[in-house]
Amino acid sequence: MQMIALLRFLAAALLFSAAAAGAADIKAGEAKAKEVCQACHGLDGNSQTADYPKLGGQRPDYLAKALRDYKSGARKNAIMAGFAGTLSPQDIENLAAYYAAQPAVLVVKH
Amino acid sequence: MRALCPRADGADSKPATALDPRLPHPTKILVRPLATLALLLLPALAWSQATVSGDAVAGQRKTQMCAGCHGIDGWRTAFPEVYSVPKIGNQHPAYIVKALQAYKSGERNHPSMRAIAASLSDKDMADLAAYYGGAEPKTASK
Repeated sequence: MQMIALLRFLAAALLFSAAAAGAADIKAGEAKAKEVCQACHGLDGNSQTADYPKLGGQRPDYLAKALRDYKSGARKNAIMAGFAGTLSPQDIENLAAYYAAQPAVLVVKH
Repeated sequence: MRALCPRADGADSKPATALDPRLPHPTKILVRPLATLALLLLPALAWSQATVSGDAVAGQRKTQMCAGCHGIDGWRTAFPEVYSVPKIGNQHPAYIVKALQAYKSGERNHPSMRAIAASLSDKDMADLAAYYGGAEPKTASK
Protein backbone atom coordinates (compact mmCIF):
# COMPACT_ATOMS: atom_id res chain seq x y z
CA MET A 1 0.00 0.00 0.00
CA GLN A 2 2.84 2.34 0.82
CA MET A 3 4.26 1.60 -2.58
CA ILE A 4 1.02 2.64 -4.21
CA ALA A 5 0.91 5.84 -2.20
CA LEU A 6 4.46 6.58 -3.25
CA LEU A 7 3.64 5.94 -6.89
CA ARG A 8 0.63 8.23 -6.61
CA PHE A 9 2.79 10.93 -5.14
CA LEU A 10 5.37 10.54 -7.89
CA ALA A 11 2.68 10.67 -10.58
CA ALA A 12 1.23 13.81 -9.05
CA ALA A 13 4.68 15.39 -8.80
CA LEU A 14 5.36 14.50 -12.43
CA LEU A 15 2.06 15.99 -13.57
CA PHE A 16 2.74 19.13 -11.58
CA SER A 17 6.22 19.60 -13.02
CA ALA A 18 4.88 19.01 -16.55
CA ALA A 19 2.28 21.70 -15.93
CA ALA A 20 4.94 24.02 -14.53
CA ALA A 21 7.06 23.55 -17.66
CA GLY A 22 3.93 24.35 -19.67
CA ALA A 23 3.95 27.98 -18.57
CA ALA A 24 5.55 29.32 -21.70
CA ASP A 25 7.50 32.54 -21.94
CA ILE A 26 7.08 34.00 -25.42
CA LYS A 27 9.85 36.59 -24.94
CA ALA A 28 12.32 33.91 -23.95
CA GLY A 29 11.08 31.90 -26.93
CA GLU A 30 11.88 34.78 -29.26
CA ALA A 31 15.40 35.08 -27.85
CA LYS A 32 15.94 31.37 -28.36
CA ALA A 33 14.48 31.50 -31.87
CA LYS A 34 16.98 34.23 -32.82
CA GLU A 35 19.75 32.07 -31.52
CA VAL A 36 18.77 28.64 -32.85
CA CYS A 37 15.90 28.58 -35.37
CA GLN A 38 15.93 31.83 -37.31
CA ALA A 39 18.59 30.92 -39.86
CA CYS A 40 16.43 28.23 -41.44
CA HIS A 41 12.84 28.83 -40.33
CA GLY A 42 12.94 32.63 -40.26
CA LEU A 43 12.24 34.78 -37.20
CA ASP A 44 8.54 34.93 -38.07
CA GLY A 45 8.46 31.24 -39.02
CA ASN A 46 7.85 32.00 -42.66
CA SER A 47 10.73 29.98 -44.04
CA GLN A 48 11.66 30.88 -47.60
CA THR A 49 13.22 27.51 -48.35
CA ALA A 50 11.07 24.56 -49.34
CA ASP A 51 13.25 22.17 -47.32
CA TYR A 52 12.38 23.89 -44.05
CA PRO A 53 8.76 23.87 -42.96
CA LYS A 54 6.92 27.06 -42.17
CA LEU A 55 6.17 27.37 -38.47
CA GLY A 56 4.34 30.70 -38.17
CA GLY A 57 0.93 30.19 -36.60
CA GLN A 58 1.43 26.43 -36.21
CA ARG A 59 -0.24 24.76 -33.21
CA PRO A 60 2.02 25.16 -30.16
CA ASP A 61 1.43 21.64 -28.85
CA TYR A 62 2.31 20.18 -32.26
CA LEU A 63 5.52 22.21 -32.40
CA ALA A 64 6.46 21.12 -28.88
CA LYS A 65 5.73 17.48 -29.72
CA ALA A 66 7.91 17.70 -32.86
CA LEU A 67 10.80 19.20 -30.87
CA ARG A 68 10.49 16.57 -28.13
CA ASP A 69 10.49 13.82 -30.76
CA TYR A 70 13.58 15.25 -32.48
CA LYS A 71 15.30 15.48 -29.11
CA SER A 72 14.40 11.92 -28.12
CA GLY A 73 15.18 10.50 -31.55
CA ALA A 74 11.60 9.31 -32.09
CA ARG A 75 11.63 11.55 -35.13
CA LYS A 76 14.85 11.29 -37.06
CA ASN A 77 16.42 14.22 -38.79
CA ALA A 78 20.13 14.88 -38.77
CA ILE A 79 19.75 18.65 -38.68
CA MET A 80 16.93 18.90 -36.16
CA ALA A 81 18.42 16.31 -33.81
CA GLY A 82 21.40 18.60 -33.33
CA PHE A 83 19.33 21.66 -32.53
CA ALA A 84 16.56 20.04 -30.49
CA GLY A 85 19.15 18.18 -28.46
CA THR A 86 20.34 21.46 -26.99
CA LEU A 87 16.86 22.59 -25.90
CA SER A 88 15.50 22.17 -22.39
CA PRO A 89 11.82 21.25 -21.88
CA GLN A 90 11.24 24.89 -20.95
CA ASP A 91 13.00 26.12 -24.13
CA ILE A 92 10.71 23.83 -26.13
CA GLU A 93 7.56 25.26 -24.54
CA ASN A 94 8.83 28.81 -25.04
CA LEU A 95 9.74 28.29 -28.70
CA ALA A 96 6.46 26.53 -29.46
CA ALA A 97 4.51 29.39 -27.90
CA TYR A 98 6.59 31.97 -29.75
CA TYR A 99 6.18 30.50 -33.23
CA ALA A 100 2.51 29.71 -32.65
CA ALA A 101 1.98 33.39 -31.79
CA GLN A 102 3.47 34.69 -35.05
CA PRO A 103 1.09 36.06 -37.67
CA ALA A 104 -0.43 32.93 -39.13
CA VAL A 105 1.43 31.85 -42.21
CA LEU A 106 -0.15 28.43 -41.96
CA VAL A 107 -3.87 28.03 -42.22
CA VAL A 108 -6.45 25.28 -41.89
CA LYS A 109 -7.47 24.45 -45.43
CA HIS A 110 -10.64 22.48 -45.86
CA MET B 1 33.68 -29.85 -72.63
CA ARG B 2 34.11 -28.44 -76.07
CA ALA B 3 32.51 -25.22 -75.10
CA LEU B 4 34.86 -24.91 -72.19
CA CYS B 5 38.03 -25.53 -74.14
CA PRO B 6 37.47 -24.25 -77.65
CA ARG B 7 41.13 -24.49 -78.56
CA ALA B 8 41.34 -28.19 -77.80
CA ASP B 9 41.02 -29.14 -81.42
CA GLY B 10 40.84 -27.00 -84.49
CA ALA B 11 37.74 -28.72 -85.90
CA ASP B 12 35.12 -26.39 -84.57
CA SER B 13 37.18 -23.56 -83.20
CA LYS B 14 35.85 -20.16 -84.04
CA PRO B 15 37.10 -18.40 -87.15
CA ALA B 16 39.94 -15.98 -86.83
CA THR B 17 38.01 -13.42 -84.84
CA ALA B 18 39.90 -14.39 -81.72
CA LEU B 19 39.97 -11.59 -79.24
CA ASP B 20 43.03 -9.45 -79.17
CA PRO B 21 44.16 -9.57 -75.56
CA ARG B 22 45.67 -6.11 -75.89
CA LEU B 23 42.24 -4.56 -76.46
CA PRO B 24 39.52 -4.30 -73.82
CA HIS B 25 36.96 -7.08 -73.94
CA PRO B 26 33.99 -6.05 -76.11
CA THR B 27 31.59 -6.36 -73.17
CA LYS B 28 33.75 -3.87 -71.33
CA ILE B 29 33.58 -1.47 -74.22
CA LEU B 30 29.79 -1.59 -73.93
CA VAL B 31 29.36 -1.87 -70.19
CA ARG B 32 31.67 0.94 -69.13
CA PRO B 33 29.90 3.79 -70.92
CA LEU B 34 26.52 2.37 -69.99
CA ALA B 35 27.46 2.22 -66.34
CA THR B 36 28.84 5.73 -66.52
CA LEU B 37 25.67 6.93 -68.18
CA ALA B 38 23.54 5.23 -65.55
CA LEU B 39 25.59 6.83 -62.78
CA LEU B 40 25.22 10.20 -64.41
CA LEU B 41 21.49 9.73 -64.80
CA LEU B 42 20.81 8.53 -61.25
CA PRO B 43 20.59 11.96 -59.67
CA ALA B 44 18.40 13.12 -62.55
CA LEU B 45 16.14 10.14 -61.97
CA ALA B 46 15.95 10.81 -58.25
CA TRP B 47 15.25 14.45 -58.98
CA SER B 48 12.44 13.64 -61.37
CA GLN B 49 10.87 11.35 -58.77
CA ALA B 50 11.17 14.00 -56.08
CA THR B 51 9.49 16.55 -58.27
CA VAL B 52 6.49 14.73 -59.67
CA SER B 53 4.50 17.78 -60.60
CA GLY B 54 1.39 18.18 -58.53
CA ASP B 55 -2.04 19.14 -59.76
CA ALA B 56 -3.86 21.20 -57.14
CA VAL B 57 -7.29 20.55 -58.67
CA ALA B 58 -6.69 16.80 -58.63
CA GLY B 59 -5.32 17.18 -55.10
CA GLN B 60 -8.49 18.83 -53.91
CA ARG B 61 -10.39 15.72 -54.97
CA LYS B 62 -8.09 13.50 -52.90
CA THR B 63 -8.50 15.17 -49.52
CA GLN B 64 -11.15 12.77 -48.15
CA MET B 65 -8.61 11.08 -45.90
CA CYS B 66 -7.02 14.38 -44.80
CA ALA B 67 -9.97 16.68 -44.22
CA GLY B 68 -11.39 14.76 -41.26
CA CYS B 69 -8.45 15.93 -39.15
CA HIS B 70 -6.49 18.63 -41.00
CA GLY B 71 -9.62 20.37 -42.28
CA ILE B 72 -11.15 20.92 -38.85
CA ASP B 73 -9.93 23.93 -36.92
CA GLY B 74 -8.49 22.88 -33.57
CA TRP B 75 -8.75 19.12 -34.16
CA ARG B 76 -6.61 16.95 -31.91
CA THR B 77 -5.11 13.53 -32.36
CA ALA B 78 -6.60 10.86 -30.13
CA PHE B 79 -3.89 8.21 -30.28
CA PRO B 80 -1.23 7.45 -29.15
CA GLU B 81 -0.71 10.93 -27.71
CA VAL B 82 -3.11 13.87 -27.64
CA TYR B 83 -1.99 17.03 -29.42
CA SER B 84 -3.32 19.33 -32.10
CA VAL B 85 -2.98 18.13 -35.67
CA PRO B 86 -0.69 20.50 -37.55
CA LYS B 87 -1.99 23.14 -39.90
CA ILE B 88 -0.86 22.23 -43.39
CA GLY B 89 -2.51 24.96 -45.48
CA ASN B 90 0.19 27.13 -47.12
CA GLN B 91 2.98 24.80 -46.04
CA HIS B 92 5.77 24.33 -48.61
CA PRO B 93 4.56 21.64 -51.05
CA ALA B 94 8.01 20.00 -51.05
CA TYR B 95 7.85 19.68 -47.27
CA ILE B 96 4.38 18.12 -47.41
CA VAL B 97 5.64 15.52 -49.89
CA LYS B 98 8.67 14.86 -47.69
CA ALA B 99 6.47 14.37 -44.63
CA LEU B 100 4.14 11.98 -46.47
CA GLN B 101 7.09 9.97 -47.79
CA ALA B 102 8.56 9.77 -44.30
CA TYR B 103 5.25 8.41 -42.96
CA LYS B 104 5.04 5.93 -45.84
CA SER B 105 8.59 4.66 -45.23
CA GLY B 106 8.01 4.45 -41.48
CA GLU B 107 10.65 7.07 -40.75
CA ARG B 108 7.87 9.08 -39.08
CA ASN B 109 5.66 6.91 -37.02
CA HIS B 110 2.26 8.36 -36.29
CA PRO B 111 -0.04 5.32 -36.77
CA SER B 112 -2.90 7.00 -38.66
CA MET B 113 -0.56 8.99 -40.86
CA ARG B 114 1.49 5.91 -41.65
CA ALA B 115 -1.62 4.02 -42.73
CA ILE B 116 -2.89 6.89 -44.86
CA ALA B 117 0.45 7.70 -46.47
CA ALA B 118 0.98 4.02 -47.29
CA SER B 119 -2.05 4.19 -49.55
CA LEU B 120 -0.79 7.23 -51.48
CA SER B 121 1.19 7.11 -54.72
CA ASP B 122 3.90 9.65 -55.50
CA LYS B 123 1.40 11.38 -57.76
CA ASP B 124 -1.24 11.50 -55.00
CA MET B 125 1.32 13.06 -52.66
CA ALA B 126 2.33 15.65 -55.23
CA ASP B 127 -1.30 16.52 -55.96
CA LEU B 128 -2.18 16.86 -52.27
CA ALA B 129 0.93 18.96 -51.65
CA ALA B 130 0.00 21.22 -54.57
CA TYR B 131 -3.50 21.65 -53.15
CA TYR B 132 -2.58 22.24 -49.51
CA GLY B 133 0.61 24.15 -50.17
CA GLY B 134 -0.55 26.26 -53.06
CA ALA B 135 -2.91 29.11 -53.61
CA GLU B 136 -6.61 28.29 -53.94
CA PRO B 137 -7.00 26.28 -57.14
CA LYS B 138 -8.92 28.01 -59.87
CA THR B 139 -12.16 26.32 -60.78
CA ALA B 140 -13.08 25.94 -64.40
CA SER B 141 -16.52 27.46 -63.90
CA LYS B 142 -15.39 30.84 -62.55
